[in-house]
Amino acid sequence: MMLRLLKIDLLKLVNYKTFWVMSGLYALLILSIPTSVMEFLKWLNAKGAEMFGGDIDLMKIPVLYFPDIWHNITYVFIFLKIFLAILIIITVSNEFSYKTIRQNVIDGLSRFDFIKSKLLMILVLCLGSTMLVFLTGLFTGLVYTPDVSIADMFSGIQFLFAYFLDIFAYSIFAFLLTVLIKRSGLTIALLVLSMPIEYTITANLPESLSSIIQYFPLHAINNLIEVPFPKYAFMEIQDTVSMTFVGVVVVYIALFIYAIYAKLQRSDI
Amino acid sequence: MESVLSIKNLTKTYGRVQAVKNLSLDIHKGQVFGLLGPNGSGKTTTLGMILDVINKTSGNYEWFGKSNSTDVRKKIGAILETPIFYPYLTAAKNLEIVAKIKEVPVVNIDKVLTKVGLIERKNDKFRTYSLGMKQRLSIASALLCDPEVMILDEPTNGLDPQGIAEIRDLIINIAREGKTIILASHLLDEVQKVCTHFAVLQRGTLIHNGSVEDVSKGEEIVDVNADVELEDVLKSFEGTKKMRFENNRWEVSLNEGHNSQTLNKYLFEKNITANYLLPKKKSLERQFLEILEEANS
Repeated sequence: MMLRLLKIDLLKLVNYKTFWVMSGLYALLILSIPTSVMEFLKWLNAKGAEMFGGDIDLMKIPVLYFPDIWHNITYVFIFLKIFLAILIIITVSNEFSYKTIRQNVIDGLSRFDFIKSKLLMILVLCLGSTMLVFLTGLFTGLVYTPDVSIADMFSGIQFLFAYFLDIFAYSIFAFLLTVLIKRSGLTIALLVLSMPIEYTITANLPESLSSIIQYFPLHAINNLIEVPFPKYAFMEIQDTVSMTFVGVVVVYIALFIYAIYAKLQRSDI
Repeated sequence: MESVLSIKNLTKTYGRVQAVKNLSLDIHKGQVFGLLGPNGSGKTTTLGMILDVINKTSGNYEWFGKSNSTDVRKKIGAILETPIFYPYLTAAKNLEIVAKIKEVPVVNIDKVLTKVGLIERKNDKFRTYSLGMKQRLSIASALLCDPEVMILDEPTNGLDPQGIAEIRDLIINIAREGKTIILASHLLDEVQKVCTHFAVLQRGTLIHNGSVEDVSKGEEIVDVNADVELEDVLKSFEGTKKMRFENNRWEVSLNEGHNSQTLNKYLFEKNITANYLLPKKKSLERQFLEILEEANS
């Protein structure tokens, strides 16, 4: 049953050129970033050597070594989720602008079936992205880590799970915005602005409420993976994913899905 | 007769506008049912509600004696307003999606595309299609599940005369297979040619519901002409109710109990041989205008 719904959505995607262009670009960025980071570090090292006489060897910083690599690359790759979100916005808003959602329902899909088929597609895309990040991390780690031990290799792997949860929640947020707004351009604009909007709101909250700021949706999602780099300046940062934020984000996912359901159920399509 | 669709007190309001008011209607198996009405009379809103894409405000409807469900809709082939497909997909791929939704085998695709004469263009993208081809593809899509009921909303909208004739033949052929068809249209000629029953909507209210056959019952109209002047002769005929001269011949509406035969006999008695004598069915168009007039007065 679920498989049928997924197949329906895949049929819509596999012959859609924009889908391949967007996801190709997305995959290419994921694959190319680790290499460019190393090249950048090399360049920085060379520059540093010129300027400071070569006291610090940046190459010795274990950015791409196991187990640090998982936290570092997932943190960087999170920024690419905007591609995924835009892809979702385009494909879902197409259903409204072509009115195909209407024909789908006339043909025998329930509105909830329609939502499920899109959620399954989002799930597959997010799993694909996570898989790609896993493989990229694995190979990069194997190439750069001086002496690889199996224990180190997978000890930071929970960041990969946090990565999946982060992009999945963000994608469903994009899905919700599309269902509310329906037009792709406007939805993308609002998605991009949603972060500054939320940060503006939280910045203006009274002092007494400052403890709840971290639980705002985009804050909570961002808190899954914190900035990893200060640790190289001997600062203390997270070494495990916070279960509190995992729980909060899961609740948000459920709320977003319910909002999508309630909106589509109520409206004429 | 087996009930296909039964609508009871269906109502839809948009803010203060009542698009459909208290509509009750029954459609039975094998009927070709025409839903008539001027633009904006609530035809598409009604069809949208019984297909679950427009939420009803109040009232009820049942398909095959059951309330609406996805299983019921899988057995209905329906098009609302314009043909809707993914423009970047080919006709075959578009129908594959419909087949997956309706859970019917994909082998049906070639069959229905052949039926509507699009098999040669099956691998062309939908957006390259002409309007007529789009309409035909949507009929193919509606036929895909070998439906028990077909719902067609203005299927000949925007077509040229040849396209209209093609679609009409297609509908007549489908009706011959015993399928129930619900046809919304504002083209009365079209409805008269294909429908067995019809209902008239005006500003969301049902103002007439009956069979097309009944339209032609009642008074008979005969076109008549002869080589001699007929005006006075016809005027003195007791069966003449109304008469007017049009297109070089007399159009005579007859009183009850009279028909073309009695008129012919009368002329013969007056030693006049008609060179033209044509009994006409009362057109749906006239009936429709009368219904609207009655409703307005």
